[in-house]
Amino acid sequence: MNHRGGWALIQNTWQSWIQHRGFFFLLAFGWMLPLLVYLFIWSAAASDGAIAGLTQESLAGYYLILILTNQLTYATTNWTVGDNIRYGQISRWLLQPMSPIYHALSQEIAGKVVFMLFSVPITALLALIIRPQFNLSWGQALQFLPAIVLAWGLRFFWGYWLALLAFWVTRADSLLALQDSLIFLLGGHLAPFALLPPGMQTLARLLPFRYMSAFPVEVLTGQLGVQETLTGLAIQLGWTVLAIVLYRWVWTRGIRHYEAVGG
Amino acid sequence: MPEPIIQVKHLTKVYRVPERAPGLGASVRSLLKPHYSDIPAVTDISFTVEPGEIVGLIGPNGAGKTTTLKMLSGLLYPTSGDAQVAGYTPWQRQPDYLRRISMVMGNRSALNWDIPPLDSFRVLSQIYRVPPDQYRQILDELIATLDMDALLKKPVRNLSLGERMKCELVAGLLYQPDILFLDEPTLGLDVAMQRRLRTFLKTFNQQHTVTVILTSHYMADVTALCPRVMLIHHGSLIYDGALQTLAARLAPFKLVRLQFSAPVENFDDFVAQWPAVEQLPMENGLRILRVPRADVPQVTARLLESLPVADLAVEDPPIEAVIDQIYAEGVL
Repeated sequence: MNHRGGWALIQNTWQSWIQHRGFFFLLAFGWMLPLLVYLFIWSAAASDGAIAGLTQESLAGYYLILILTNQLTYATTNWTVGDNIRYGQISRWLLQPMSPIYHALSQEIAGKVVFMLFSVPITALLALIIRPQFNLSWGQALQFLPAIVLAWGLRFFWGYWLALLAFWVTRADSLLALQDSLIFLLGGHLAPFALLPPGMQTLARLLPFRYMSAFPVEVLTGQLGVQETLTGLAIQLGWTVLAIVLYRWVWTRGIRHYEAVGG
Repeated sequence: MPEPIIQVKHLTKVYRVPERAPGLGASVRSLLKPHYSDIPAVTDISFTVEPGEIVGLIGPNGAGKTTTLKMLSGLLYPTSGDAQVAGYTPWQRQPDYLRRISMVMGNRSALNWDIPPLDSFRVLSQIYRVPPDQYRQILDELIATLDMDALLKKPVRNLSLGERMKCELVAGLLYQPDILFLDEPTLGLDVAMQRRLRTFLKTFNQQHTVTVILTSHYMADVTALCPRVMLIHHGSLIYDGALQTLAARLAPFKLVRLQFSAPVENFDDFVAQWPAVEQLPMENGLRILRVPRADVPQVTARLLESLPVADLAVEDPPIEAVIDQIYAEGVL
């Protein structure tokens, strides 16, 4: 472990990313759009009365918080891992006395700061216009903390191990696109969990994708009971541990397979 | 006699490369039934390097030079064989080992292109845990010897190739590694910049007793820096020793340049008396003869006594010509 180097790296990456803030603001805006579309669709659908216990205002609140948590948990870094392997960029990180995952983590942390610089004010502005309804409590906020941290960890490590398959196959990033599609379907983007048909609810409950994005929002907005929250956290933790184990396993094998291309 | 710092025994690397014929049909077929072939990149090479040595690793493109360096720096697992560098097995990539080596690649950047080099240096000093005083001292030394004050605050992407190479060297040296692997450090640089880098490397090696293995296609790098060369061809080490000896072994000839004070009419017939002596095309009005080393005294003596010689010079053939010959023929 080399935390001193990791911290220096985070500062540096942040400096470098802030140089391209325009690009990242546009990216953040792009991610926001589909969720805004669904916000308006479901708000319109609920204009005559609550659906599955969700009112127009609480749906708006759900989606606004989802916009933020989605950006907090979205692991942009994983999209570059494959290219770094394919084009041999990872070589320079392997030469350093520090695990290359620090480079991914530093980009993650630096990225979140840059994205939040854009997304927090925009979401706050939208909240002033749409006037959503939040049922927030300290208890929910307290449960939200582990849920959001695990959601980020799960989404990051799950994408990371998929991206590391680039050691063997050249376009592993198509698996990341699949992960995103499943998050869109099962992770509360297309519709909140409560509005999904029963079959999809079961899938969402078992598979990791809901726990990467919608689960913390459901916890924060009080859609889940204590029992459901605890079960959810346990499943989320289980998937996260599995993702980390898979990452370690793929990494140690991939690195042996690495051909250090170029130069 | 100190222990060798680098010990390489029977190191071998075979790449498994997917292969397919060009065209859409072939690409579909290769999808269903991929075809691989084993390409040996490095075959059974063994050598040792003493602390403080500068060794030139030479050979044509694709000979296995970079693959060897990549194994020694821990980037590649060998297919078989063993290497011990400073007491470590490189491909285990222990942090303590990585702190003692540096690999500078002429075609690969270790710097973040968006920010000024000084920021990258600071991060590297943290990653390599260089104490602040020591960092300032070595940085001042490197910046002064490489004369690069003006570059430090510009983003790396705005630097020229030569300027960037200076920064790459600083990045590779600021934690004072004991062993330096230089892969084509002068690639693409102009002649003046190449010479400066050579002078710098020589001085740095003497002042810090750093062990250097260098690959280069510029023989000037090798002649200026490396008393010892290792020649790799088709993955095998075919020569390991002094550069001069290599030249002598490869080119058992000397070049005799002649200038006459009066026209010589039957020069061709005169040369024909020695079947082993070959006349090369004239250069700047000078006659050039390629003479076997053993015959040089006798030939020059006869030339001097029989012909109106104004000037006579005996030279070794240029090293490029010698190397070119092995690269083409692949034998010593």
